[in-house]
Amino acid sequence: MTIDDDVPTLTLGYMPLIDCAPLIAAVRLGLDRRHGLRLVLRRQASWAAIRDKLLSGELDAAHALAGLVYGIDAGIAGPQADLAILLTLNQNGQAITLSPRLAQGLAAGRPLRELLAELPRRPVFAQTFPTGTHAMWLYYWLAAQGVDPLRDIRSLTLPPPQMPAALADGELDGYCAGEPWATQAEALGVGRLAIRSGQLWPGHPEKVLACRREFAALQPELALALTATLLDACRWLDDAEHRRQAVSWLVQPEVIGLPAASIEACLLPGGAIDASDSGLRFHDDGRVNFPWLSDGRWFLQQFRRWGWLAPAQPDEDATRLGNIHRLDTYREAAQRLQVAVPAADSRRSLLFDGTVWE
Amino acid sequence: MLRVLLVTDTDKPIGQLRNALLAAGHEVLDEVAATGALLRAVETQQPDVVIVDVDSPSRDSLEQLAMLHQHAPRPVVMFSADGDHQLIRAAVGAGVTAYVVDGLAPERLASIIQVALARFEQQLHIRRRLDDVQQQLLDRKLIDRAKGLLMEKRGMSESEAYAALRQQAMRQGAKLVDVARRIIAMADLIG
Repeated sequence: MTIDDDVPTLTLGYMPLIDCAPLIAAVRLGLDRRHGLRLVLRRQASWAAIRDKLLSGELDAAHALAGLVYGIDAGIAGPQADLAILLTLNQNGQAITLSPRLAQGLAAGRPLRELLAELPRRPVFAQTFPTGTHAMWLYYWLAAQGVDPLRDIRSLTLPPPQMPAALADGELDGYCAGEPWATQAEALGVGRLAIRSGQLWPGHPEKVLACRREFAALQPELALALTATLLDACRWLDDAEHRRQAVSWLVQPEVIGLPAASIEACLLPGGAIDASDSGLRFHDDGRVNFPWLSDGRWFLQQFRRWGWLAPAQPDEDATRLGNIHRLDTYREAAQRLQVAVPAADSRRSLLFDGTVWE
Repeated sequence: MLRVLLVTDTDKPIGQLRNALLAAGHEVLDEVAATGALLRAVETQQPDVVIVDVDSPSRDSLEQLAMLHQHAPRPVVMFSADGDHQLIRAAVGAGVTAYVVDGLAPERLASIIQVALARFEQQLHIRRRLDDVQQQLLDRKLIDRAKGLLMEKRGMSESEAYAALRQQAMRQGAKLVDVARRIIAMADLIG
């Protein structure tokens, strides 16, 4: 953090994806100034870079995959650091894409396990970060169909823009990534959408605003102002006209740099906001943004399921999640903006395989 | 001696580390510039250290290897509880990150990172000097133009024009080039 003209300046990192929209909107609309801050945005090329720069202090906060934050906090396959989640930035909006051959077989009612066994080599699937949301959606979906993501397939991490080409070249059999990379594969005829993440878990948490826990704890006023700024931006984005405006910002080469039509197809499918439970949303009267403790528990449970995290000691998860999720800061920011605040800290979710998670 | 793989998929001159690393007695594998090639090289050539730009889009793929491959080759991000944080911060700041095989002694890696850092700092230094020289050239051009304008419009000699510029700069407490800029802008306006 630096202070220029008496205004505290925070540097935020983001990945060039559709759901970085709240950060871009916050700056374009001057919401940062309204909340007494100046935000400087820095585009990053990988989630690893976001992590390193967050840890080294080069970034004050970042647009991050929800799973990544828990993974770093738990020290899974990389540096451990105490992190915090200030708010959830969006729900839904990701997808699993398959090669046309697998998609056809699946549509014809054949089990995925059987289809994968017919491939001439071990099936290869890609995701975006080992502990990230896309890996978790992919593994959950495969496992629900009797495919062990650790043994039955080879899992690669690839930059999403490289995924459609890798699918076309036969290097991949499928992948899970944020939009527009499923739409892109369909447009090119190299892949078919198998399931939207919002169908897999309607209303799942996707990207969050993460910072070092030390920042959240030692600079509570700044953390509050930052939370309020992004909450304000998320609220602004749940309006069709506003999203149209956001498209014009996201197409800029220094932001995402994809054609307006691709970005618009994600933010406004069919020209309007997808208001269903599985559509991409940024606010939904604050239900999107509240950092639900039950969401965090789901990721920790999945990490244990895949053998990356030791069984929990009593109260271990509650303590960890209580430290990561800054509920008090969120509630104060929501009150400041007159956004509804839920009474409970957890919610009930229904996943596509019938699992109820609370 | 360590087997080092350099990833050259950004503008940063990672490939130029080769000579410095060779001179320090390390083996340097053929560099790779794409994620697919990187994954194949790690699998088939088993480097001890992979050096990439902090802003390489391939970095997340290396994170996956660290996660899933329990046995060698297992590149592990160099951050660790007992790692040298100052060095890491400097490395990230300079734009270089290393992934090392599990179990590699930190001191051995440190020498590689130091080579990389020294190289990058040198680069940065040359870069800055070049920028300075370019700026000076640009300033000189502007001053010459302003001088020319004074000579043309006020009938001054070259030395008179220069003296007038200097006097103006001193009176305004401004840089010579800024005064020149103002004169040029004014001339553009008045014609």
